[in-house]
Amino acid sequence: MGVAEEIGFVLLALLGGALLTAGLERLLGTAERGPARPLAVARATALPNADRWLLPAGPISGLAGVLFGTVVIPFGPTLIGRDLGIGVFYFIVVIDFVVLGVALNGWGASTSDAVESCYRIVAQLVSYIVPLGLAYVGAIMMARSLVTTTIVDAQSGLWFIVLQPLGFALYLVTGLMQSYRAPFLEAFSDRIGGGVLGVVGGGPALVWRVTLSGLLFLVAAMGAILFLGGWSGPFLPPPVWMALKTYGLMALMLSLGHLVRPLSTAEMLALSWKILTPAGLVNVLIVGILILLHIGPA
Amino acid sequence: MNAANIAEIIAFALSAFIAVAGALGMATTMSMFRSGIFLMASFMGVAGLFVLLSADLLGLLQIMMYIGGMLVMILFMVLFMQDPGGAMMADMPDMMTPVGKIFSLGLKQNDPTGTGPEEEGEGRDGDDDNMGDMDMSDMAMVTPAYRWAVWAALLTAGGLVALLLLRPAWPLASGALDPRSAERIGSLLMDKYMVGFEGAGFLILIGIVGAVFMARTGRHGAKADRDSRSAIEDTPPEIEADPLTPLAGDIGQTGPGGAA
Repeated sequence: MGVAEEIGFVLLALLGGALLTAGLERLLGTAERGPARPLAVARATALPNADRWLLPAGPISGLAGVLFGTVVIPFGPTLIGRDLGIGVFYFIVVIDFVVLGVALNGWGASTSDAVESCYRIVAQLVSYIVPLGLAYVGAIMMARSLVTTTIVDAQSGLWFIVLQPLGFALYLVTGLMQSYRAPFLEAFSDRIGGGVLGVVGGGPALVWRVTLSGLLFLVAAMGAILFLGGWSGPFLPPPVWMALKTYGLMALMLSLGHLVRPLSTAEMLALSWKILTPAGLVNVLIVGILILLHIGPA
Repeated sequence: MNAANIAEIIAFALSAFIAVAGALGMATTMSMFRSGIFLMASFMGVAGLFVLLSADLLGLLQIMMYIGGMLVMILFMVLFMQDPGGAMMADMPDMMTPVGKIFSLGLKQNDPTGTGPEEEGEGRDGDDDNMGDMDMSDMAMVTPAYRWAVWAALLTAGGLVALLLLRPAWPLASGALDPRSAERIGSLLMDKYMVGFEGAGFLILIGIVGAVFMARTGRHGAKADRDSRSAIEDTPPEIEADPLTPLAGDIGQTGPGGAA
């Protein structure tokens, strides 16, 4: 693919994925919807105290994060924006731009709810990043590669969900944290009027809708790549399998998340450091033992 | 010159501009929050230069460390600074340098009441009555060392440019780039430089444990001992022979964190 085709493919994948995600979330929606809450696009909120440089930088940074992230998601053996040599690590890093975007927009808007949103999302970043990384590490160790297509190829015999059930469970929880869906929607909760989403309108509101739906789409797609064998499957063409696994995983994550009451930021941090991080280390240990016993891909 | 070369030059110019302008903005803007963001942007420009030098892993590591690290650092600044949003300072353009005025654009509020942006209570008591009592040296970007720092920075920059001009024959790396550089960096860190790498990690861990240990209340460190170390006195001693008439209702709002 040429550069123009790659850019077009990435845009199409992100927009299509975000659209389907928004539809699925509408189906599975509960009372408190967090980042998927209805947005008032026609609203123009007066922000007299706004920092007029940081405010517009927020949505740009968020959208850039999901766009860059889509680049390394493979929908088939060759159907990928750009197969980077450090693909998975790159993915973890660029998704952080969404957090930066919410923080910039929240502080820039300078209403107490939006600033609260900024504080909470940074605390959430601190709580999910370590266990999420440890969940990735299990799959990376077995595939012996950071390249997304190689990780999918390594699962041609057996999916990593069978070999690493603990890692998959860890990914379910930290993936929900990373995509701010229930029960980890504190940064966009109704108590603070949706935080950043409560003050944006017009273009930025649309951008945040694409960004936050696209974020859930990307998290689910990466889960399908790391643990469910990506595009591989019989009879159907690869992109269909990839979509099926992505949205199946997304539906599982959303419905499991709705079973738990929403957690506060402090509870989330406690959960992360006391339970998830030790569980992630145990997972790495188990995977290491499995590799030493020659169980897994050759 | 083909298209790839032009793209490379444009990418270099953009990264270098972000790195330099970010550093300038960091040192001159009146908003502490902005200052942290500018520093982050500057490091991202440097990360762009890394990527252009085919060190993509190092570039991404740089971005990863500084997004999370800077955001947390900014939150701690917001906790401890009097005017983290810079709204109060933005009302005093006389105290800014010319460059600082540029990087503080968009902070000045058209708010007749004079209250700053809402920084969770702190900005709200920044009324004009309190301004005179506030110790300006505590404020974000006003420091007597500023002039010296500028001269030192200019001298360093001049020295670097002189070095560039006086030594025109820079050695160029030859040979193909290693596509498995990430693997090699990992092997080096876990093999040749393992003691240094793990030692640094262990030091940071000790620091974290020590901070938690000192911050926890109860078993360690008596309460009375803690109170005697407190920086703020509950009842400040009265000033003897004060020629000024006391302001009514002004007590308790002038200290740092006076939002109580």
